[in-house]
Amino acid sequence: MFFFKRDKPSEAMVLFGNVATIGMQLVVATFIGLAMGYYLDEWLGTKPWMLIIFLLLGIITGFRDVYREAMRLQRGADEQSAGPSGPGSDGAKGGPGRQGK
Amino acid sequence: MAAGLAHPLTYSVILDQQLGLHLPPHVYYMWLAMIILFTCGFILRGRLQLVPGGLQNLFETVIGGLEDFVVLNIGEEGRKVFPFLCAMFIFILVMNYIGLIPGCDAATANVNTNAAMAISVFVYYNYIGIKKWGFGYIKHFMGPVIFLAPLMLILETVSHLARPLSLTLRLFGNIRGEEIVLVLLFILAPVLGTLPMYFLFILGKTIQAFIFFMLTMIYLKGSLEHAH
Repeated sequence: MFFFKRDKPSEAMVLFGNVATIGMQLVVATFIGLAMGYYLDEWLGTKPWMLIIFLLLGIITGFRDVYREAMRLQRGADEQSAGPSGPGSDGAKGGPGRQGK
Repeated sequence: MAAGLAHPLTYSVILDQQLGLHLPPHVYYMWLAMIILFTCGFILRGRLQLVPGGLQNLFETVIGGLEDFVVLNIGEEGRKVFPFLCAMFIFILVMNYIGLIPGCDAATANVNTNAAMAISVFVYYNYIGIKKWGFGYIKHFMGPVIFLAPLMLILETVSHLARPLSLTLRLFGNIRGEEIVLVLLFILAPVLGTLPMYFLFILGKTIQAFIFFMLTMIYLKGSLEHAH
């Protein structure tokens, strides 16, 4: 079956899942920042300032999340390519683990 | 079926008229998913066998595979939180698949169902974190450098609040989109047009359920592991 190979979620599904999460984080974090700024403004009465500050913070958060996610994926890919070929031989033929993609 | 296309007649509409409860359709389809899962559970519990066959085999493959996956990612602690994760996956999967039955609608095609699940995920992983680390859980929000802590606190708050929202919107957008495409293709070319899409959507719906499961797992891993 496509979804479960040898009683494990297949690699394609895990990869698909990881990739599909990245874009959303950027957008949603920006909007959360925007909403927090907007309601803080209403609460504190500092009309444009909180909105601007928190919008910027939201954008920063979005980019940081994407960066962290990419680092996590990179680490996963490294472990995977190091795994099957053994720890000693990753310099000469580190490729084989990732060939299928 | 997608709402907004001049009241498509689904089973829930007929059922609602019979019962007179005035509940929205997604509630009925969620109940249907619950009934299916409870029935499976009770049937399986009654006749568990050492050598599994049929339904038990299917469930053992799925649950065993997921448990290995969780333990591989989180570690042995993952077994404690696995029931929640697995229930989420199977529940969402069944709700998604119900949308493929003609005359039925996926409960996850409504933003309220997804929001409820995403908020319970949010509450659950924070609860797990607080239970494990006590007051020290706040270190997860402060980052590695102490003089940047106030800034990181705000950034992490935004990041954590974004999680339930992105979970909700991703699942909702994908499943609702698929339901709408099915209805539109059925209008364009009845039966013949929709059949090939079924293969694509079975794949899409499984992947969406799996993404929800995997993200929940990653969040739980984040709250269980030591703050960097």
